[in-house]
Amino acid sequence: MRAKLALLGFFFFVSQALADAKISEIKVTLDGERVLASFALQDAFDHRLSERVDSGLPTSILYRIELDRDRKRWWDQKLQDVTLEVVAMYDAVARSYTVHYKLNDKLIESRTLRDRQALQEAMTVIDRLPVFEVASLPRQGRALLKIQAETGSRTLLSIIPVSIKTDWKESPKFRAPQTP
Amino acid sequence: MSLRDKLLRHRKNYRLIFGGFGVLLLLFTAMYYMAVRGRDLPAALVTNRVLMFVLWDVNVILILGVVFVLLRNLIKLLVERRQKVLGSAFKFKLVVTYVGMSLIPVLLLFAIASELLQGSIDRWFNTPVAPALERGNAVAQALYDQIEKTNVRDAAQVLQEIRGLDLRDPHQRPRLNRRMTELLESQHLDLLAVYEGRELVNAMVDTQTGIRDLPEPDRSFLEEAAKKGQATAAAGASGTKGSLLLAAVASSTGTELPPVPTTEEERAKVRPPVIVIVGTLLDPVLAAQREQLVQDFQAYRQLEVQKDELKASHMLLFVMVTLVILLASSWTGLYLARRVTVPILALAEGTRIISSGDLSHRVDVPADDELGVLVDSFNRMTQELATNKGALELSNRELTTSNERLASERALIAAILQNVAAGVVSIDSEGKIFTCNGAALVMLRQREDEVVGRAVADAWGDRERSKLAAVLTESGSNKEVHLTLGGEWKTFDVKVTALRDAEDALQGQVLVIEDLTELIKAQQLAAWNEAARRIAHEIKNPLTPIRLAAERLQRKSRLGDPGLTAAIEEGVDIIVREVVTLQGMVDEFSRYARMPRPRPAPVDLDRLVTETLHLYRNLKPGVDVGSVVDPTLATVWIDGEQVKRALINLLDNAVEATEAPGRVTVLARPVDGHLEIQVTDTGRGISPDAKEKLFLPYYSTKGRGTGLGLAIVHRIVTDHQGSIRVEDNAPQGTVFTVELPMG
Repeated sequence: MRAKLALLGFFFFVSQALADAKISEIKVTLDGERVLASFALQDAFDHRLSERVDSGLPTSILYRIELDRDRKRWWDQKLQDVTLEVVAMYDAVARSYTVHYKLNDKLIESRTLRDRQALQEAMTVIDRLPVFEVASLPRQGRALLKIQAETGSRTLLSIIPVSIKTDWKESPKFRAPQTP
Repeated sequence: MSLRDKLLRHRKNYRLIFGGFGVLLLLFTAMYYMAVRGRDLPAALVTNRVLMFVLWDVNVILILGVVFVLLRNLIKLLVERRQKVLGSAFKFKLVVTYVGMSLIPVLLLFAIASELLQGSIDRWFNTPVAPALERGNAVAQALYDQIEKTNVRDAAQVLQEIRGLDLRDPHQRPRLNRRMTELLESQHLDLLAVYEGRELVNAMVDTQTGIRDLPEPDRSFLEEAAKKGQATAAAGASGTKGSLLLAAVASSTGTELPPVPTTEEERAKVRPPVIVIVGTLLDPVLAAQREQLVQDFQAYRQLEVQKDELKASHMLLFVMVTLVILLASSWTGLYLARRVTVPILALAEGTRIISSGDLSHRVDVPADDELGVLVDSFNRMTQELATNKGALELSNRELTTSNERLASERALIAAILQNVAAGVVSIDSEGKIFTCNGAALVMLRQREDEVVGRAVADAWGDRERSKLAAVLTESGSNKEVHLTLGGEWKTFDVKVTALRDAEDALQGQVLVIEDLTELIKAQQLAAWNEAARRIAHEIKNPLTPIRLAAERLQRKSRLGDPGLTAAIEEGVDIIVREVVTLQGMVDEFSRYARMPRPRPAPVDLDRLVTETLHLYRNLKPGVDVGSVVDPTLATVWIDGEQVKRALINLLDNAVEATEAPGRVTVLARPVDGHLEIQVTDTGRGISPDAKEKLFLPYYSTKGRGTGLGLAIVHRIVTDHQGSIRVEDNAPQGTVFTVELPMG
């Protein structure tokens, strides 16, 4: 019994330690043939992440985005998923930040930034990112997006690597546009 | 699976084991190489998340392996202990000892080493390197900041100087050039450029700097300047080894830069802000030093940021090595424990099977060390046990058969002994009566419990029966013993036989008792019958002449025969003579009947024999009479007169039976404590029938005499507690042997 309680406490501690960052409200926009997602990652840029960026190490935030079909009284059905990796690297000599955006490991954009605030915004605020095709949406029923962010990893008890992730955030449910 | 199969399987696994150790050796070598190389690897590679997850996964697999190996064996041992499998307790202790001996040192070493490792990594970042690097980096950055600040000020001043100029007017270009040249010289600028939006209006460099080409400013640099009013950046300078520190100042803020117009109409429509860029070329050495300083500082910060990951990766690597050692040591411990326990368990099982009686069992496990010697010795011992058991069983069967036969024979003998008329008493070496058959008990008028198991002196302690005890001192003797039991006069013939073993040691004695009482009575009756017959015969013989003489006298008297007187005298002579014969006969009877009890006294035997023989010398021509008396026999205790009379009777018969030439010899000597007197003749001998009746009264082979001579000899000898026997003399004649007790 004690062992079970200790295990539960351990998992509670871990979940609390990893639950600082969170995804804000997700906005889904249907733009022609594309499904655009807008969201922001809050409270992710903590001391650990700032120090890592300033050290010049490549620092990434990985967003996992799922397109699900909504099902009542049952688990939602995953239709598609994509990953968006935002990698920042600081050039201390030039004193500039380079930010790369990779959608499903394919570079889609790069930016050079010169101040921290712009960097934080560039890494955590995603605006109108085309993630799925409208054709991927279910013809019947409602769909929703689920997004989770992984901001890095840390170690527990000095040897156990643990990924730092947010909870899955669900978007408002939406329907595919009706075609005549 | 049998123990043998297990052992064979383990032996087959030897190749696998050695292969496993080889793989482990390679693994450790690789780990050591990685650890050594790891010091030179960049931190980003060492702390790579993929590497850490791989290490972690390997560790998890190893942990599961160790736990599986330990748990599997532990559960097996516990189950065996619970089922009370033979040897499980010993195996459990051995395995726990082996595994403990491997686990405890490894875990202790791991605990100490991991603490040292973490402490060492922590100490790396506690050294004063960080502040020094940080200060150096701050100085370098401050220098940059100072130059950038000066550049911004100069750019603002240039912007102020050219504010009144219309940059699109070609007529004012010479003035702009002049002014820019003046400012380049007066402000000691290395580069000066003027942009209208994204479009370059004019630019110039200090020719002494060696800069060949105007650096193309980054698009974002101009945008930031337009947006924020000013911006700074660093850029390379072609033709030099230094770098340019650029500062841009815009004529307005908060504006977005439009694209470069492609037509005059577009150009006329928009009026983008004027941006002045000022550049200062850094000394190449200073720039390189600053760049190196910044990079070093960054490298240090990267290490510090990744301290936890660095510790984790090192710890994971260390844990992996520890787990591999743990797995190898645990498995080796278990393997060694099995190698020891399996032959021992086989021996224990073999012992159990053999103790249950199956001597055919053999411990058949391959072992080539001391345990192998033990197994071989065990099997040899078992073989010998089986052989000995077989021999023992055979012997036992033979013994059982023999015992049964002996028991049968013993029962038969017991039945015979119980039913024989003779009394048989056995006495052990300690003088206790061992057995006593029914006939003996009846003869001696005793119960079995009064005799059996008791000492002879105790069982036969009374005055009468003690005579039997006295006979026991004379083994081999055959004696007549007279006892008065229950008021009855009993005569027993007692034969004592000594029982001796192979070493001639006395093991006991056997008494065979024959009750001669009735026989003697019968013999006496027969003797008296014979005596009566002979007396009648003997009396009848003289009576006939007497009767005939008397009848003749009567007849002559009746007839008045003149020869009556002569006849009377002749008749009276006959009658007197026959009466004298009758008188002599009566005297003999009287003497035989009145024969007194012997009165022993010291007698010179040699003299007695010599005097007796003197009567027979020259009695019969051609018959030589002689004697041999042992000189040791000086004086003997006997009744001299009676012995002399017996000797005369024997010599009478011997001389009479011997025809010339012949010899009669008297031999006297001591034999086994007795006095032996032999009278030997070379006469006609005695028939076997006559020998049986020879000592009966009134028995005679001569057809004359009273027939009492040898009866008297027998009487004298028995009255002396002696014995007499008659045998044939070789080659001719007869030997009478008289045995008398000495003293």
